[in-house]
Amino acid sequence: MKFAQNRLYIEAYNKCPNCGLLLYEEPSGGVSGAVTFEGRLFCSPWCVNWTVDRRRRRAAEAAVPASTSPDPARA
Amino acid sequence: MDMVSLNIVGGILVSICRDMGVTLMRTSYSTIFSESLDFTCGLALPNGDLVATGDYCPSMIGGLPLLLRSCAREIPIEEYEEGDVILHNDPYRGGLHTPEHTFFKPVFVDGSLIGFAVAIGHVCEVGGLTPAGFAAEATEVFHEGLRVPPVKIKRAGKDVDDVWRLLLANVRTPRYNYGDFRALIAATDLGERRMADLARKYGVAAFREHGAALMDYSERRMRAEIEKIPDGRYSFSDVMEDDGIEDKASTIRVEVTVSGSNIVVDYHGSSKQAKGPINGTLGVAHGAAYNAILQLTDSTIPKNSGCFRPIRVLAEPGSVVNVNFPGPSVGGNTETHCRIANVVMGALASALKERSAATDGASHSNFLFGGTDLKSGEFFCCYDLTPVGWGGRSFANGNDAVGGINGNCPHIPVEVFEYRFPWRVEEFKLVDGSGGPGKFRGGLALSKTIRCTDTPLTFSYMSDRQKVAPWGIHGGHAGAKAELFICRAGSEEWLTVTRAFNKVSPSKFANVPIRPGDRIKISSPAGGGWGPPEECDRARLREDLLDGFVTEEQAHTVYGLR
Repeated sequence: MKFAQNRLYIEAYNKCPNCGLLLYEEPSGGVSGAVTFEGRLFCSPWCVNWTVDRRRRRAAEAAVPASTSPDPARA
Repeated sequence: MDMVSLNIVGGILVSICRDMGVTLMRTSYSTIFSESLDFTCGLALPNGDLVATGDYCPSMIGGLPLLLRSCAREIPIEEYEEGDVILHNDPYRGGLHTPEHTFFKPVFVDGSLIGFAVAIGHVCEVGGLTPAGFAAEATEVFHEGLRVPPVKIKRAGKDVDDVWRLLLANVRTPRYNYGDFRALIAATDLGERRMADLARKYGVAAFREHGAALMDYSERRMRAEIEKIPDGRYSFSDVMEDDGIEDKASTIRVEVTVSGSNIVVDYHGSSKQAKGPINGTLGVAHGAAYNAILQLTDSTIPKNSGCFRPIRVLAEPGSVVNVNFPGPSVGGNTETHCRIANVVMGALASALKERSAATDGASHSNFLFGGTDLKSGEFFCCYDLTPVGWGGRSFANGNDAVGGINGNCPHIPVEVFEYRFPWRVEEFKLVDGSGGPGKFRGGLALSKTIRCTDTPLTFSYMSDRQKVAPWGIHGGHAGAKAELFICRAGSEEWLTVTRAFNKVSPSKFANVPIRPGDRIKISSPAGGGWGPPEECDRARLREDLLDGFVTEEQAHTVYGLR
C-alpha cells in the first residue's frame, strides 16, 4: 500500500498476486521481503514458486481431464 | 515454565475474553449485540499476534490477525499511549466489511506495552445506502457506510471529540451507535485491566514467555491434527447464486494442499470480483479457511495465532474472495464466508470422512429494517438473523435452526423483537421435511411470518440459497432452499420481491418500503444430508416421522421405509 507523502490518504493498494496480502511500502520506498517476478511484485519467493508450480500443474490438468469432487452447483 | 502454569495462564486469558464479551452484551444498546452476540473479544501481543479469544463469532476470530497486522503496520508502537483506543473497520486493510468495527486498546505495565485488548463487533447502522447496513444493491464501498482506517477514538484516556462527531454525523441512529461504541470500548477497558493485572501477578517477562509458549502449544497441536490428514491435493467448488446486481452466479473454487503438518488453502480459479456486494475481503478469505479447519480438527486446541501458523491462504486480488478497492463487500462476511468455509470442508470431506459434514444452510438470511418511531420521532434500525439447518454428520443429524457456520449468533427472541420493533410474529416454526435426506439428515430450516403493526419501514435483505440448494455429502441429498415472500396489506397474494418490486435478485435487495399491515414470510435454507438415506436407522427415522421432521412422502419414497 502506497501512502501519499503526508500519510493522509492512499495512492495505491498493492497486493501480492498470489496470496493477496496487502504490501505496505516502507517510508524509504520499496517493500520489505518482496520480490519482482514477470513485472509483478510478490510478497516472497515462496509465492513466486507457488505461482509457477500452480500454472504448470493446471496446464497439465487441462490437458488430461481429471475426476474432481462433486460440483454442488450441478447436484 | 510448566504445563500446569501454562494452562492456568491460558485459561485466565480466555476467561478475560469471555468477560469482555459479557460486558459488551450487557452494556450495548442494539439487539445485534445484546441478543445476537455478533461480536468477539480477544487479547493480542504487541506484534499483533492473537494470544487468546472468547468463543463468540468464528468469522471474527479468524479475521482478527489481519486487522491487527494493519494496526501494527500503520501506527508505530512508539505512538501508542496509555488510555488510547484505536478504531478500525476498513475492508481493504484486513477488515471484514464496513459494519465490523474493531476497537484496540494498548495495554501497558510500568510504561511498557505488553499487548492489546480487542473488541470487534457488527455495528447495526453504518450509514450508506440502506438503514441497518447490508446495502444489498451496493456497487462500491461508498454505498456501504463510513470507512474508518485505524484512527484513535480515545487518546491518553480522553475522547477525541472530532472523531466521535465525524462518526456519529454519518449514521442514522447516532444515540444507538454511541451506546454500542461505548460498550465495545468498555469491553477493551476490562480486557486492559485484567491483562495488566495478570502480567503484574506473574511478572512482565514471564507473561511474555507464557504468551509465546501458548501460541507454540496451539501450533504443535494443530500440526499434530494436520498430520492425521493424508498428504494430497483436494478440491471442491460451489457458487453464490447472484450478487444483487446481476443474475449471474459466482464460483468459489478451492484447492487444499496437505503436506505433512502444513496446509495451503488456494482459492485461485474462483470467479472475478462481483459487481454486487457478495465479495469477501482478504480477512474473510482467511477467517473462512481458519473456521473450516477449526471445524475439522480438535475443538479443544486453544484459538490463537499459533494454531493458524500451519495454514497458508492464497486469495487472488480482484476475485470474489479478495475484493479490490472500491468494490463492495458487505455481504461477503456473512453469505460468502459460509460458502467459502463449506467449500474448504467439502474439499477435505473425502480425506476426513468421519469428521466431515454436509453444508449447513450457509446463509444468515440477514433481515434489515429501519424507520421513525411514532412516539419519540427517533430513527431506529434492526439487524435480525434467521437460523439455518446444519449439515448431517457421520454420527448425528444436523442441528435444527441454529446460527450459520460463521456467526454463532442467536436469533432475537420473539418477545424482545415484538417489544422493541413494530412487528407481530404470526408464525415461528421448524420447516417439516426441509433437512436434506441422508443416513443422517440435514438440520431443519426455520420459517417465520411477521406483520408490520403501525410504523412505515424500509426493509432490505442479504441472503442466498434460493436458487441453489445446500448440498449433501457421501450420498446424502440436498437440503431445502430458502424462500422469501411478501404479502401487501389488503391482499392475500404472497409474492417474491422480484415480482412485487421488480428486483434483480429474490435474495439480495435494498430499500423495499413496508406499510402497516404488510406481511413478510422468511424461510431459511436447511442443511444437507450425510450418507445414503436408505442407510438411515429405521427406529430413528420412525421417530423423525412421528415428530414431523421427515414427511410421510420422504420416508417412503426417499428413505424407502416400508
